[in-house]
Amino acid sequence: MRGGRFRPPERGPSCPLFERIVSQPDFEVIRQVLDGETAAFELLVLQYQQTIFRLAQRMTRNTEDAKDITQEAFVQAYRSLRSFQGQSSFSTWLYRIAVNLCLNRLKASRREDPVEVDGNFPDAREDSLATLLTSERDRALAAAIEELPPQQRATLTLRVYQGLSHREIAHVLDCAEGTAKANYFHAIRTLQRKLEAFRDTG
Amino acid sequence: MRNCDRIRDRLLDLVEGEMPARQSREAEEHIARCPECAREVRELRDTLVRLRTLPEPALPDCLFDDITATVRRRIAHETPPRLPFYQRVAAWLRDLPGLRPVPALSAAAVLGLLLAIGLVRTPRTPQPSPTLEVIAVGESLPIAQNLDILEQFDLLEDLDLLEQLPVLRVPGNGRSLKMG
Repeated sequence: MRGGRFRPPERGPSCPLFERIVSQPDFEVIRQVLDGETAAFELLVLQYQQTIFRLAQRMTRNTEDAKDITQEAFVQAYRSLRSFQGQSSFSTWLYRIAVNLCLNRLKASRREDPVEVDGNFPDAREDSLATLLTSERDRALAAAIEELPPQQRATLTLRVYQGLSHREIAHVLDCAEGTAKANYFHAIRTLQRKLEAFRDTG
Repeated sequence: MRNCDRIRDRLLDLVEGEMPARQSREAEEHIARCPECAREVRELRDTLVRLRTLPEPALPDCLFDDITATVRRRIAHETPPRLPFYQRVAAWLRDLPGLRPVPALSAAAVLGLLLAIGLVRTPRTPQPSPTLEVIAVGESLPIAQNLDILEQFDLLEDLDLLEQLPVLRVPGNGRSLKMG
């Protein structure tokens, strides 16, 4: 491997690596990687792995799948780093890779048996009626998200949890801005209807 | 009712604060008078709040250490990503303070540098490429004026080819390309 091998980073706010993560713009790090300092790529992994994992987890609702997708997204990003043109931010580019992996995974999993949905829902047996209702509502909402078409689920996740604009979402999903906006609108409307049953009681 | 139809599809923009100020004022005035639209706004807000507060699964302690280590291990076996040579030279020249505002000059400098490399190394016996095709250009035109044609053949990406430029023969008449 040219340009230095990867070494485990030091940890803690006082280490030089931490300071570089905070202070260096992504473009500068990418340039260093392309100039041969390949170990600098780990700065990008440390910077974005939580974001990408959460995105994948919300898309797949499965922790193991999300872990695999996160790893694969970074490896694919590394392989094609020289094609990154800087027309969008690195995070948007990385989202695009990760979302495509999620959509492929969802497509494949729909052909298989449904998986158990991960979720930190409280055990309602020992709680009050209000907690029971909240738990039921959250389960219903999670199930309703599961049933959304993959493109709508991706749009919803990028918008609500990642805070992307409709234009950025269109770029990530490679569609028109109007399509991204319409997908989001339909997703919210669907979930709004699913929650109607809980409004009077909750 | 006509106002409801016009506003209903844009209430999500209003709830998310993305409606332009003037339209937003009109919508707010309408909502103050319309219980149906007011209920719609409340439900949209509620839906967004429920979505944002949906519980997340608990994560294993060393999840992110595992991800970092796996990525590190996997990409250690990958070929390091590198820009093509000519892009590295162009980026280097672009970063020179004097050349930055003059992109044409930078491009000319890249060309000059690459041609110089080719000319200096011409004593080497050229290795003819079996797939090489050189188109005929006017005798009086310098290479620099034919750059747009040469670029179509990705000549700049192939340093070996550039080294051969001064001795390339034009098919048909056996002439060399004019070098300016």
